[in-house]
Amino acid sequence: MRALVALLVGLASVATAGEFRLPSVTRLTLDNGLRVVVAEQREVPLVEMQLLVGAGSAQDPKGDEGVAALTARALTRGAGERSAVELAREIESLGGEISAGAGTDATIIGAEFLAEDFARGLGLVRDVVLAPRFEKDEVRRARDDQASTILATLEQPSAVADKCYAAFLYGAHPYGRPSDGSIGTVKELGRGDVRDYYARWYHPNNAILVLVGAVSADEALAAIRQTLGGWASRPDAVPVRAAAPAPITARKVLLVDKSDATQTQIRFGNISISRSSPDYLVASVGNTILGGGFTSRLIEELRVKRSLTYSAWSMFSARLLGGDFRVGTFTKSPTTLETLQLALSVEDEFRRTPPDAKSLQKAKEYLSGQFPLRLESPEALAAKLAELEFHGLPQDELTTYQSRVRAVSAADVAAVAERDMPSTDRVAIVVVGKASEVKAPLEQAFGAVETVPAAECDSLARGPK
Amino acid sequence: MARRLLLVLAALVLAAAIPVCAIEVPVSAYTLRNGLRVLIHEDHSAPVVSSYVFYRSGSRNETLDQTGIAHLFEHMMFNGGKKFGPGVFDDLIEGNGGSTNGYTTKDLTAYLNNFPREALPLVLDLESDRMANLAITQQNLEQERGIVMEERRLRIDNQVVGAMSESLSLASFVRSPYRWNTVGFMDDLERITLEEARAYFHTYYAPNNAILVLAGDVEPEPTVRLVDRYFGRIPRRPPPAPVDGREPVQDGARRVTVRKAAELPALLMGWHGVGVNDPDRAPLDVVERLLADGDSSRLELDLVREHELATETAADNSWTIDPELFTIYAQAAPGKTLAAIEERIDAVLRALAEKPVPPEELAKAKTRLRADLVRSLKTVSGKANRIGFAEVVFGDHQALTRVEKEWEAVSAEDVRRVVAKYLGPNQKTVVVLDPVKPGGATQ
Repeated sequence: MRALVALLVGLASVATAGEFRLPSVTRLTLDNGLRVVVAEQREVPLVEMQLLVGAGSAQDPKGDEGVAALTARALTRGAGERSAVELAREIESLGGEISAGAGTDATIIGAEFLAEDFARGLGLVRDVVLAPRFEKDEVRRARDDQASTILATLEQPSAVADKCYAAFLYGAHPYGRPSDGSIGTVKELGRGDVRDYYARWYHPNNAILVLVGAVSADEALAAIRQTLGGWASRPDAVPVRAAAPAPITARKVLLVDKSDATQTQIRFGNISISRSSPDYLVASVGNTILGGGFTSRLIEELRVKRSLTYSAWSMFSARLLGGDFRVGTFTKSPTTLETLQLALSVEDEFRRTPPDAKSLQKAKEYLSGQFPLRLESPEALAAKLAELEFHGLPQDELTTYQSRVRAVSAADVAAVAERDMPSTDRVAIVVVGKASEVKAPLEQAFGAVETVPAAECDSLARGPK
Repeated sequence: MARRLLLVLAALVLAAAIPVCAIEVPVSAYTLRNGLRVLIHEDHSAPVVSSYVFYRSGSRNETLDQTGIAHLFEHMMFNGGKKFGPGVFDDLIEGNGGSTNGYTTKDLTAYLNNFPREALPLVLDLESDRMANLAITQQNLEQERGIVMEERRLRIDNQVVGAMSESLSLASFVRSPYRWNTVGFMDDLERITLEEARAYFHTYYAPNNAILVLAGDVEPEPTVRLVDRYFGRIPRRPPPAPVDGREPVQDGARRVTVRKAAELPALLMGWHGVGVNDPDRAPLDVVERLLADGDSSRLELDLVREHELATETAADNSWTIDPELFTIYAQAAPGKTLAAIEERIDAVLRALAEKPVPPEELAKAKTRLRADLVRSLKTVSGKANRIGFAEVVFGDHQALTRVEKEWEAVSAEDVRRVVAKYLGPNQKTVVVLDPVKPGGATQ
């Protein structure tokens, strides 16, 4: 059947069927230390820029939690010759976008312009990154906006579950803190804090610029050199990072009360690998079998066989200093315990049994087949190139991905599952739901269960009181 | 063919003031003998293909005692036909490197697969099998009933904006089937019978009620022959009865309160708008962008920046077959009232209805519309989705080219006129969120 198809529809292309084709990528470092990655991709007339600054909320001074995020928010509120409104009007009149947001380890300034407007777009990015005004009133507005976002997030059960899970598992480690900070810390932040943070970390020797789009590499590099070559470096701009987070050694359960909920959100997991771990690729194959896609073990047991949920998943949140492996799902209040116990047993079973040949083959085909589709858009490719650069991954990571996935064996998966997925007697479990309905069954199964309102998860991340 | 798209687009973006060339996504269009429309777009930039099967079956095709059945069907469609049994569909797609999904709106149901091009015959085999022979069994129905009820709890019952949106449609529409949410009422989801499911399938899942779109690394002529081999023998069925989407004129504002545990009050307002082929749709698209698209849009400047009443605003002019609502959403800043917000929204609309919008502001709104259209065409999946949507909702797969010309033709007077005509204070329905503070919380 496959041979026939190749004859019928495969005439147009000379490349090997299904193989990922990476546009040519140019990498260089400017004299001021800025690392630049450029890929020419001409399918759509857009140019995508991602500038990554290697500092995030992990670099928030104690008591100033949220300042990395506030700095990012304030960047686009007036820069260079333009006030906040003038800058917005200029970007929007071009049909472009510039956004900035802080994570834990890095801050990303993303921009997209029509290829025609590349030079103007790059000039605006330059202003935002090199010449933000940080006017007092604009910083105040950004701060109020950040505080409102923290409040509004409390309305979303799924976001509450993720936030409380991170705090409960990571504790005082930077990965336990939301990068937006808490209402208490954010309301104290001001212009001085933002300026200090910016002056300390926003330097080219702590930054990576990735550009993907319908611009020639030569033109792009010349423009970048001219526009950002004068950005001043600072010897101590590269942060000394925190230690890797430590795994928890005993199971613990947190119930977050949402008194009007009819549905319970569930998360559990433990500390696991970093993005640069040699286990990462095999772990992603194993994770696909357990909790990726529509045919995973978790979907089969929780959704297809029992209709307990609309969705169930697992993932390695693999970051710079370490990360965690987690399982997530949700179900109606009365089936909370049943669903949690089943998800735990599915993970436990997967961890103890090597995958069958069919499941393994399917996961490998799925990951390698989807790979070109996942990197099709300019922003997806730019994000991936930035990820490689930031985590110091090999430059052939993308071109060898499919063959490396195809070489993964059942024994590889079994070893990594045993090593990097947690034993179910050592997981942090977070349940967000109606306590009056779900607490008793949880306590019957797991013993004493700590119960907090959603707004108090922040305090879990501050470590021992 | 991607190259051709690029050149046409590059020409269009030179300057907003110059008459604009069309955004073109070239399509080879065919109709099989049984009425199946086949639309093929070539893009050889990657060895991948995106397939979408669109059925003219959305919640507008439901009746009031069977709400949610169109969406329930979307779920049941993954559970086996005749050649491929239960649990096989997803396995085969993923096992051949593809991904699969579906979605349902008020107007349509779409089934999509994104896959390496060698999987095309398999995808056609699977899609034609479920179109011709879906296994409508009690087991299939019961399995998806429970899952969809969970989806309703996720999207409506435990989601503040979802609950507000459902309330807005219920209060605004009296007889149009856009009145109920696509996910359906819990009572109907609990009750829908196997017989009703069978009848629904036989009415709507026919080749003459469907459109197959393929975008990616394919050649049209051999591909349509392949499509005919898989779909050509599925019999045509009587066309479904037309839908009556008419709605009596609303004269006088309506108000609804939603009480939910929430942190900040919010407001969702709706006005009866137009169907997608109405000449006033394009001016209303422009109004949507003038009001709330970016930090320099009018509601942002007025409510967020100047008066600091709201934390965020949004406006939406839906593209639908029958007239839908034009909506505005605002979330209150801490300590601010919804009454003050509503007053400012009315004032912003009044200004638009009275004074012509300046040329540069009008040009900006049009540029934003065009740029977003370009953005939606970044991937083969995005292109296939747009082509099929245009065919089902506009009745013309080339409608995007026309839409762009319509935007270009919108004048400041058109903007003034449609705001005055559609977005008046006596034609609105207002949903206010009255936040109940969660018990025991320390707010």
